[in-house]
Amino acid sequence: MKNWLPLTWAVAANSFGESVRHRFFTLFSVFAFTAIYASVLAGVMAVDEEARVLADLGLALMELTTLAYVLFQASSSLLKEAETKTIYLVFSRPVPRWIYLAGKMGGVMLTAAFMLAVMSCMHLALLYFRGFALPAAYGWALAGSFCKLAVITAFAFFVSLFSTSSVSTLVISGILWTLGHFVSETRFMAEHAYGIKAVLLKAVIWLIPNLQLFNARDAAGAAAAIAPAAFLAGAAWILAAYLASLWLLARKEF
Amino acid sequence: MTSRAVTFSKVEKTYKRPRLLGAAYHTAVQDLSFDIPAGEITGLLGLNGAGKTTIMKLITGLLFPTAGSLKVFGLPPSGQPAKAKVGFLPELPYFPPQVKPGAALAYYGRLSGLSGKDLSLAVAAALERTGLEPHAHKRVAEFSKGMLQRLGLAQALLHRPDLLVLDEPVSGLDPLAIHDIRKLLAGLNAEGRTIFLSSHSISEVEKLCGRVLIMVRGRLAKTVSRAEWEAAPGGLEAIFVEAVK
Repeated sequence: MKNWLPLTWAVAANSFGESVRHRFFTLFSVFAFTAIYASVLAGVMAVDEEARVLADLGLALMELTTLAYVLFQASSSLLKEAETKTIYLVFSRPVPRWIYLAGKMGGVMLTAAFMLAVMSCMHLALLYFRGFALPAAYGWALAGSFCKLAVITAFAFFVSLFSTSSVSTLVISGILWTLGHFVSETRFMAEHAYGIKAVLLKAVIWLIPNLQLFNARDAAGAAAAIAPAAFLAGAAWILAAYLASLWLLARKEF
Repeated sequence: MTSRAVTFSKVEKTYKRPRLLGAAYHTAVQDLSFDIPAGEITGLLGLNGAGKTTIMKLITGLLFPTAGSLKVFGLPPSGQPAKAKVGFLPELPYFPPQVKPGAALAYYGRLSGLSGKDLSLAVAAALERTGLEPHAHKRVAEFSKGMLQRLGLAQALLHRPDLLVLDEPVSGLDPLAIHDIRKLLAGLNAEGRTIFLSSHSISEVEKLCGRVLIMVRGRLAKTVSRAEWEAAPGGLEAIFVEAVK
């Protein structure tokens, strides 16, 4: 298949366009801008730590807002196309399912990158007007947030292919996101557990992506770069979720 | 090109619906064998639930047969080479309301492998052919049902397919829109394209088709040629009523 790249790009660009044209996108944008601006209040209350609070709270809000929107998109994207029968117009054409899936996931990841980029511009402007310099590891923090969002997007697509509704996909993906931030604790529990409990906990560690790997500003000194191994792990999780999704999609009838 | 656009040979399609305990099975079509000759307009008639849409989806590779074999121009329908030769209009096609028809068509054109100048020409030709050119500046949200159906037909025509599969192409349209679509389909057939359409409107099928397949509860009850229904008292309607009773 020599034209796989333009086909994937066509699906991704269409998916991105639909994401940013969605009425919820405007609502999320307004909420995000308001929330980031409101973090000024928390910063003022932090007195001596205003710069750190403003930076960390802003980054966290950006990540959570983008998470909410991309999970909404990833959980409803395929379902909506099947419900509106738009998928008939796609799969009755010479579009391989692996390309369609890659394009759809790529479109949602593009949306995540776009949202992070726009919100970070606003966040940095806010920091600048408050008289603070660029926070340490800011770029790494954004890259880490994007990696986490890309991993959870791929998982949400996988879940959406077997779950009965977009709400259940949202819930399952939300649980996975939360568990992904407690992998160190799960590992600690596995090391101190015995028998079946230990086996189960070790299996969970393998199945759940370790999203803590991408928390750049959690590292000592808050200025550490994300290790290349973390990016490789992220890519492996995305690939695994993509292949599992493809296995389901290839068998799906419409 | 083979003289048969589509060949069904003992095709069966059974749907599996997962239940809390086990699954429920429903056979939509069974023991289905027929050909659609290339270059002709073939109609598909049947009551609701007779299996018309299942047949359309099997031809376009959206469903896979449970048993039997199915070929489109001698190729498996789920493969890319067969799909490149087919244009599909589903019943009540959906387009994002905020886009303009040209943008919607450009997307589907890209998915059909068109790009650059070829894509622009194909979009312009499809808009002109379906009479949507004067409405090209409007958003899909402003379109009437007839205009949406034309847009659906335009996306099916973009890549100049050899076979057009149309599910209820005149459903819910006003008489003028029906007249225009009939004229368009006759023109496409005159160019040598094979058309396979399903409809609930016997009179429309009678006007357009050279041959009609009548489905009853998932089985092919009768194949009728134009000469047969023209010679029969009561025409196609009488034959259809007799077959489905």
